[in-house]
Amino acid sequence: MGSLRDVLSPFTAWKHVIETPVTIRNPIGREAADGYRGFHQNDIEKCIGCGSCEVICQNAAIDMVPVSDPVDGDSGLRPKIDYGRCCWCALCVDVCMTGSLTMSNEYTWVDTDPDAFRFIPGVDPKPWDDLEKGYRREGGRVLTGAERVEMGELAPEARIDNFDEIVAGYTREQAMIEADRCVECGLCVATCPAHMDIPDYIAAIREGDYDLGLQILYETNPFSEVCGRVCTHKCETACAARHEGDPIAIRWLKRHIVDNVSEDRRLEIVGTPQTLPTRRKVAIVGAGPAGLTAAYDLARQGHAVTVYEAQDKPGGMMRFGIPEYRLPYAALDRDIAVIAAQGVKIETGVRIGHEITMDRLRAENDAVVLSIGLHIGRSTRIPGTEGGGVETAIDLLRRITAGEEVPVPKQVLVIGGGNVAMDIARSMARLQKVKHGAVGVTVTALEDFAHFLADREEIEESLEEGVEIIDARGPQEVVRFKSGNRKGEVKGLRSWAVTSIFDDKGRFAPQYDQGDERLHPAEMVVEAIGQAADVSILGEDLTEALDWNRGRLAVDVAGRTSEPWLWAAGDAVHGPDVITAVADGHRVAASVGAMLMAMGEVAR
Amino acid sequence: MMRDLHDHLKTRYRLGDLAERRGNLAFVDVERADLRALLVELRDVHGFTHLSLLTAVDWIEEGRFQLTYLMNNRAANRTLGLRVFLDRADPVGDTIHDLWPTAATYQRELREMFGIAFPGSPRVDEEFILEGWTDMPPYRRDFDTLAYSQQTFSDREGRETHDPRSHMAKKLYPEGQR
Repeated sequence: MGSLRDVLSPFTAWKHVIETPVTIRNPIGREAADGYRGFHQNDIEKCIGCGSCEVICQNAAIDMVPVSDPVDGDSGLRPKIDYGRCCWCALCVDVCMTGSLTMSNEYTWVDTDPDAFRFIPGVDPKPWDDLEKGYRREGGRVLTGAERVEMGELAPEARIDNFDEIVAGYTREQAMIEADRCVECGLCVATCPAHMDIPDYIAAIREGDYDLGLQILYETNPFSEVCGRVCTHKCETACAARHEGDPIAIRWLKRHIVDNVSEDRRLEIVGTPQTLPTRRKVAIVGAGPAGLTAAYDLARQGHAVTVYEAQDKPGGMMRFGIPEYRLPYAALDRDIAVIAAQGVKIETGVRIGHEITMDRLRAENDAVVLSIGLHIGRSTRIPGTEGGGVETAIDLLRRITAGEEVPVPKQVLVIGGGNVAMDIARSMARLQKVKHGAVGVTVTALEDFAHFLADREEIEESLEEGVEIIDARGPQEVVRFKSGNRKGEVKGLRSWAVTSIFDDKGRFAPQYDQGDERLHPAEMVVEAIGQAADVSILGEDLTEALDWNRGRLAVDVAGRTSEPWLWAAGDAVHGPDVITAVADGHRVAASVGAMLMAMGEVAR
Repeated sequence: MMRDLHDHLKTRYRLGDLAERRGNLAFVDVERADLRALLVELRDVHGFTHLSLLTAVDWIEEGRFQLTYLMNNRAANRTLGLRVFLDRADPVGDTIHDLWPTAATYQRELREMFGIAFPGSPRVDEEFILEGWTDMPPYRRDFDTLAYSQQTFSDREGRETHDPRSHMAKKLYPEGQR
């Protein structure tokens, strides 16, 4: 029973019967306010399917559904909204990483089918798709910071006369702020050649759990300390945060984890192989990132792995190519120490084909992996390159690392526009500064600045260090003195302006404006136009027996050559890149491991 | 002008620093014991006759609720916000419905949405907008809106979502999935 008031109060409403109603007879068709939060609109070209809208939705109203094939930086998924659950709060619009998701001011829609109220904005056409009015987030992205935490670096004048590491690394506070910008969408994982669990290790930083972070790094990459410094960080080109701000500094965050775990602790966390020895033997030729990653994986599977390295220290291009100011040798040594701790034998100073032949490796092992890298510098073969005063970048970089004396004239000219060209230019600049007190390096590249091959940071830092970079120049001749007491010595490089590099079929066929000729004075010319693999170690018979693909060893997706006992990985197969080599190392190790396992089954 | 008022009042009330947001908008922290006297003086002496709103903030990390009394002086077009802090573990505020009748409605709302008690406020324990609510007050920050929504409302049939990362792994590198 209700109270007397409950019974009577409906009648009190009668006193309003002659007043003008405040309600509207037909609300359908009445336009909402300009900034009203109505049905969603999604710019489908702008949307990258990161799913942040789904994660933030407090009513679980959003599903991510496939509408196209995924590509780098775009999952191909798009939000499908259930308006039976949506409360129109617009958090999804506020968090949207690209600004693609907005709301129209249309709010009225009648339909008897409840499932009609589940649709994909921007994909399923709706009358309000093109409405201008509605809720738009003001300004840029604000719920996640748009600006990257700046990295501390040595100033140009403090770094130009030494090989000290330039990048300082983040402090814990800086790393926390940077990690906080990540929405953990995971679009980056597909783009990373090694498919590192990037959102997970960033989350570990946010939790302050560096042990966990390190463990996650080691699941996909035994060269995380190296990659935390020199990775080509393709992941950052797929980062959702880049659309309305800076991408997350994924590379620096990776480094930050390793920086915060001591060497001893690192060995404790990674541990040693937890399996019985299989008595299977694997030989790996070349102790670079691909070979050592494969060695790490195979050793942890219980196989006996020996890595043969021609140089007197392991590391390959990480040691002998990348200059110390980008990657200190101690950092590389720490990564390698963990790999060696797995029982991997690393025989340095052993050049296959000389001390030991491929035939012998084949006879003494169950499998052989070739990871020999690209250590022969290519030459332009323009007139004048024969003779003294002309070097290849890769050879000079190796000699600098090995502590050998290299010529350091006052004026050096580098041919090439990639990262190796920048590496040798900046290394020579440092040596010049020490020896002569001044930098005199000129880099000429075929590409114009808009199409430069080197990383932007490398170009900027080179310029800061006083390196001169001249774009769109094609080398024609190393000019030498024809007479006098310097007869035969290098005088400089003659170049023409480049008008185009590729022909209309996309083939390399540079065209020049011969009227625009310059002589760049230099006492030494360094060629940095690419590297080749030294395949002479294979010997004639094996070279003959193997399948080749345009001068490179032909391999299947697992890295297996046409010889069933031989795999190939790394730069020599897939071109120069540390993280690609690491991924390759994992791939061949999985394939070799499967083969060894099958052998074990048969033997049983 | 706000600063003059602040200087004038702080000789007799325990006030925090004046936080000026705009020329005509400022906030100040006030002791709970001083609140009533201060409101009356602002209303009767300084022309802040209008209570624009009364709301709360959940500072869960600090273990306290903040009540904000937004006082408006219409003639001078000036607004002063008084901030009072309550223990989050035992949140009890002092009713001011006798100063502004509208405060009763705000207090009823705060009781329902934050669980802040205002003993003596008319109808304060009656439902305001949440009918049959049995859960934690929903504006408290430890209220899990998503979990509540999922428990309370069922999904329409046929709903299926995809995690971007595993979807891309499945499509782009199925062999590399761990």
